[in-house]
Amino acid sequence: MLAYLVAVAIIFGIYALLTLSLDLHYGFTGLINFGHVGFFAIGAYTSAIATLNGLPYIAGFTAAAALAALAAWPLGLLALRLREDYLAIVTLAFSEIVRVIVTAEKWLTRGTQGLPDIPRPFASLGSGYAEIAYLGLVAIIVLAAVLLIRHLIKSPFGRLIQAIRDDEVTVTALGKDPAGAKIRIFMIGAAIAGVAGALYAHYITYIVPDQFTPLVTFYVWMAMILGGVGRISGALLGTAILISIFEGSRMLRDLFPGILQVEMANLRLALVGLLLVMFVLYRPNGLLASRSDP
Amino acid sequence: MGVAYYAALAINGVVEGLIIGLAALAINLVFAVARFPNAATGDLMTVGAYAGIAVQQAGSRNLWLQGLAAVGTGMALSVALYIVIFRALRGRSMLSSLLASIGLAILLRSLLTLFVGPDQYVFRIPMARPWRPMGIPIQPNDLWLAGIAFAAVAASFIVLYLTPIGRQMRAVADSLTLARTSGIRVDRVLVALWLMVGVVTAVAGMVLGIRTVVTPELGWNMLLPAFAAAVLGGVGSPVGAVVAAIVLGVAQELSTPFLGFTYKIALAFAVLVAILAVRPSGLFGRAERVR
Repeated sequence: MLAYLVAVAIIFGIYALLTLSLDLHYGFTGLINFGHVGFFAIGAYTSAIATLNGLPYIAGFTAAAALAALAAWPLGLLALRLREDYLAIVTLAFSEIVRVIVTAEKWLTRGTQGLPDIPRPFASLGSGYAEIAYLGLVAIIVLAAVLLIRHLIKSPFGRLIQAIRDDEVTVTALGKDPAGAKIRIFMIGAAIAGVAGALYAHYITYIVPDQFTPLVTFYVWMAMILGGVGRISGALLGTAILISIFEGSRMLRDLFPGILQVEMANLRLALVGLLLVMFVLYRPNGLLASRSDP
Repeated sequence: MGVAYYAALAINGVVEGLIIGLAALAINLVFAVARFPNAATGDLMTVGAYAGIAVQQAGSRNLWLQGLAAVGTGMALSVALYIVIFRALRGRSMLSSLLASIGLAILLRSLLTLFVGPDQYVFRIPMARPWRPMGIPIQPNDLWLAGIAFAAVAASFIVLYLTPIGRQMRAVADSLTLARTSGIRVDRVLVALWLMVGVVTAVAGMVLGIRTVVTPELGWNMLLPAFAAAVLGGVGSPVGAVVAAIVLGVAQELSTPFLGFTYKIALAFAVLVAILAVRPSGLFGRAERVR
C-alpha cells in the first residue's frame, strides 16, 4: 500500500510541475501554449541521454532545464508576433516536431524502440527506500517551483507579467517592455517542464516517443482549467483531480476484471474529454476561481 | 527514379493535398465565421468514414449509399455540436471554444474506439490496374477520389460565393454586429455553416478512408497538416486554405525521397513555423486589424 501511495505521489509531483509551469505561461502571463509536452520530452530525453552516457544526475537535470528553456526561446520570439490562435497551433506543431525528431534520430534516441535502463537516483538504497527518497527529491523540486512562481508573481516582474496578460497596450504605453518579459516567462516555464521530464525519465526508467503525444498537453490544460486558472492552489488541485482520474480508472478495472485494458483507457480518455467540455461550458473559472473566462 | 517517379509522387501529393484541403476548408470556414481553430475537425472526418463503414458492414457495397450515410451523419453531428456546445460559447473567448473542441475531439475518438474497437476497417472497392501514360503510374481510384474532393471544394465555393446564404455567411464573417443590424439571422447562418462543415468533413473522411484504412485516429492524424494549411492560406480565406493544402501535399510527397517518411510529417509544421516567422498573418492573410 505504501509503495502504491509513493508511486502515485511521485506521478502527482511530476504532473504538478507541468501544470504549474503551464499556469505560469497561460494563467499568469496569458501565453497560449499548446506544446508543453515538447519541453517535457526535451527534458526527459536530455537527462536520460546524459546520464546513460555517464554524466552525473545533476548535469542531466541542469541540461534538461537548459535545453528546454533554449527550445522555448525561438517560440517566445514567435509569440511576440503571432495572434493567439496562431500561437496555439504553432506551439502544438512545435511539440509534434520534437516528437518526430526523437522518433527519427535513432542514433541518439533509438527511435520507437525507446531508451531502456535509464539510471534512477538512490537505487543503491534498495527497493522501497529508493522510491521514498525519490519522492523526497520530487517534493523538494515541486516546493522549489511553487516558491519560485510565488516569488515571481509577488515581485515587480510578476506584477508586470500579470499586467501584460490583462492589457498589453497599456503596459507598453507605460514604457515597460512586454516582449522581454514574455520571452523570459516562456523560458522559465519551459525549464520547469524540462525538469519534470527529467524526473519522469529517471522514475519510469524507459522512455519512447509515444509517451510524449499532444494528449499530455491536453491533460495538463484540463488540470489547469479544472483547478482554476492563475492560481497555484488551483494548479495543484487540478493535478490531484487528474491523477485521481488516472488511478480511479485503474481501480475500477480491479473491481471489474471483465473490462479490458484498452476499454478502460478509452473510458478514461472519454471522461477527460467530457470534463474539459463541461468545465469550459459551465465552470470556466474552475473549482477555485480567479480569472474569468479561460 | 526518373522523372516518372517524381511525377507519380507529385500526383499523389495533389490527391493528398486535396484531402488536406477539404479539412483545411472546414477549419477555415469555422475560423472565419465562428472565430476559433476547431480541433474536432479531424474527428468529424473519422465519424463520417465510420458511418460509411457501418453501411458496408450492414451489407451494402454501394459507395454512393455509403457516402450518403457519411454526409448525413456528418451534418447531423456537426449541427448537434453547434447547438449543444458552440452556440453557448459564442461571445466567449477564442480559447474557450478551442478547449471545448479539443475536449470534443478526445471524447469523440475515445467513444468511437470504445464502441467499434481499435481494429482497422477497409472500404472494399474493386482494385484497378494503374494506368501508365508516359510511364507515370496513376491509380484510377485516385483520379475519381480527387474528382470527388475537387467537386466538394467547388460546391462549397459555389455556396459561399454565389448563393444568398453564402453571402450572409461572408457578411457574418466580416462583422457579426453589422450583419445582425442588417437583418441577417445570425443563428440560421451559423446552422447553415455547421451543416456545410459536416458535409465537407464527411466527404474528406470518406475519401481518406477509401484511400487508406479506417482507424479511430484517421482524422486526428490529418488535423495538424490541415491546421498548417489553414494558417498558411490565411484565416478567413477558404481559397487560400485549399491552395496551401495542395502545395503542402505536393511538397510533402516530393520531399519523401530526401527526408524519409518520418520527417515528411514534420515538413508541414516546419514550413508553418518558418512562414509565420516571416509573415505572421499567413501567406494570404490580411494583417490583423485592431478591433
